[in-house]
Amino acid sequence: MTTAKTDEVVKEQPAPATPSDQRERDRMRRRLARRRGGGWWPYAFLAPWFIGLFGLTIYPMLDSLYLSFTDFDLLTPAQWVGMDNYNKMFTDDPVFWDSVHATLLYVVVSVPLKLALALGVAMLLNRDLKGIGLYRAAFYLPSLLGGAVAIAIVWRQVFGGDGLFNDFLAWFGIKGQDWISSPDTALYTLILLAVWQFGTPMVIFLAGLKQLPKDVYEAAAIDGATPITRFFKITLPLLTPIVFFNVVLQIIDAFKTFTPAFVISNGSGGPLNSTMLYSLYLYKKGFTDLQMGYASALAWVLFLVIAGFTAVNFIASRYWVHYDD
Amino acid sequence: MGHQISRRTLLRTTSGIAVAGALGSALSACSGGTGAGSTSSDLTMIWWGSDDRHAAYKKALAAFQKKNSKIKIRETYSGYDGYFDKFNTNIAGGSAPDLLQMDTALVAQYARKGVLAPIDSYVGKSLDLTGFSKTLLAAGTVDGKLYGVPSGIGVNQLTVNRTGLEKLGLKLPDREWTWADLKKISQDVYKKSGGKIYGVDDGGGSTLQCFEVFAREKGETFFSDDGKKLGFTPATLQEWWEFWADMRKANASPPPAITSAAHNDLTKNAVVIGKALFSFDSGIYGAGGSITDAQLDFLPTPQGDWSGAREGNFVNGGVLLSATKASKKVADSVKIMSFFAQDETAIKDMQLLRGIPPTEKARNLIASGLTPTDKLNMENADYISQRVGKATNALPAPVPPPQGADQIWDLLFQSNLAVAFGKKSIKGQLGEFFDQASGILGG
Repeated sequence: MTTAKTDEVVKEQPAPATPSDQRERDRMRRRLARRRGGGWWPYAFLAPWFIGLFGLTIYPMLDSLYLSFTDFDLLTPAQWVGMDNYNKMFTDDPVFWDSVHATLLYVVVSVPLKLALALGVAMLLNRDLKGIGLYRAAFYLPSLLGGAVAIAIVWRQVFGGDGLFNDFLAWFGIKGQDWISSPDTALYTLILLAVWQFGTPMVIFLAGLKQLPKDVYEAAAIDGATPITRFFKITLPLLTPIVFFNVVLQIIDAFKTFTPAFVISNGSGGPLNSTMLYSLYLYKKGFTDLQMGYASALAWVLFLVIAGFTAVNFIASRYWVHYDD
Repeated sequence: MGHQISRRTLLRTTSGIAVAGALGSALSACSGGTGAGSTSSDLTMIWWGSDDRHAAYKKALAAFQKKNSKIKIRETYSGYDGYFDKFNTNIAGGSAPDLLQMDTALVAQYARKGVLAPIDSYVGKSLDLTGFSKTLLAAGTVDGKLYGVPSGIGVNQLTVNRTGLEKLGLKLPDREWTWADLKKISQDVYKKSGGKIYGVDDGGGSTLQCFEVFAREKGETFFSDDGKKLGFTPATLQEWWEFWADMRKANASPPPAITSAAHNDLTKNAVVIGKALFSFDSGIYGAGGSITDAQLDFLPTPQGDWSGAREGNFVNGGVLLSATKASKKVADSVKIMSFFAQDETAIKDMQLLRGIPPTEKARNLIASGLTPTDKLNMENADYISQRVGKATNALPAPVPPPQGADQIWDLLFQSNLAVAFGKKSIKGQLGEFFDQASGILGG
């Protein structure tokens, strides 16, 4: 890909430039730019994007940073309280810790399972079968639907006390329970839902697998390497940049999970806060309990935690990610 | 159900972007300005309810507009779920509705925050409240000012699946029943149904309809008068939780998974799914589900039998209609309130959909057209309000709940569940409950 780009650039410059040519051309370009009115108009075209960036991202972020130091109930003006929100969060809010616990468990269990499944399926789909496109689409489908409220509602029905999953277990003579409303299992139904949506990392893995050099595998086959050896000695090491990319993205995604937890628990985060994922708690504090200042503080802590995890990922990647060059 | 964007959709639109998305949900409300302000000159009115209530409101409002063609009304309605979240967001974004259906449990909170418009000055002029009792108007009165017109009488009552009860050969308990009677008949239900049906849904975490009545029997209130503390003692709550632990052990009440599933979801209520015959949740009447073909009946919350019992029941105001302070159309909103309170067609359209009508005149108007279940419902409410009126030892009706009340109710529910799931002992949870409650009310 990089070589293709250089080719294009070379085409635009017809002759090899001598230093004096170069100077002459620069002067021309500056003169042209001036005649066009100082080059402000490209910015006019970019204005909608700038307005979006500052109006919808930068300004709200700074505003929320300010609000995180206030007591703000949405209805009356915000009152400056300094670090109170942050203090309360860490010292005097058991539900905060419940939500941290649920979220970490969710991230730590769902991300590796999801990636392992994605890689496994990607390997299965990385061959020239008849109708392979159809299979790929079929496996990707859950991810298209995944974020939808409808799927979360389906999930609630499937794992409820009289749901499909228990009907399925009944075939084997196992008496199920209400998985969604038991505090020991509720979070795992959410994790299962997350793992089921392995389509996006799978597609990325598939693209990575396609790029692996065939000759290395041929050489290994001649040397008598078993498929397992080939996987661990060739595929996985060559794929580490892709794995890294997926790990970073999926961790960020998992930290932000909201919709399934909200829908499956009816917005309660229950039973016993077992599905109180962090984003859901943040939402509840802001919009239900009218503590928008506190919710803003929660949002900033989440932001910092995600940034921290991502930084750690990048630092650790030096030790296990292998790039070609 | 309604026409409005739910909070789910609102959040889905903000959850797309990687890290910014994490903040999105919190930010979208603070930045404001992007919401659809009420630019039109229509009067906006919002309410929550069932489909039946939506239809009734629309019909009554159409009748109103026939007589007041100058006032154009834009109607927005939804289920209760998310209703106040959206209202909060609208207020913060400067696009508050002009007129809204308000919850008696929340009116004080919004009135004190300056969201609602006081309407005393209209009473006797454009607002006709003839026939409203003083105790009823108290439901809309905060710090001496009227902030909402009650739609009717609300009482705490149990909904009973009478068909199911009769099928098991059991008789509907007498209205003068006790907590011990409740236990007895619930156990009978379990036995006679061959262990298929528990008697009553778990009330250990149920607040308004249940524990509050019990606390009042002991001369205690749920919240202190100033709203800064709880009004009941740990001993009372302990006794209460022990009663329900006993109920679960005796199979008089269903196991916690069933109780937990019904949280915020009436369609999973133990009576609706056929796992119990008695429910403290007054919302299930009309919520549909598997009981629609059963004949329902109603009973007051049990009382007495435990030492020191006095009349614990009380009467409150159903739902309210309130105007917002930011609105420029308070006068028009008041006209609509008055219409709902007094107009014959509106009263007939509404029937019992907003509670038992507030005035004698209104009750007589609808009496002939009621369904059998509605009739039973009204009879029971009449009975309770008369009993409360006659009681000499009853506490005055509770003060409007303070800010954070809904968090306390949720805490009570979760605490009972923690005990039921065996995650906490009653004693241990008791300490946590009072700790956290004082944190919520104090800060």
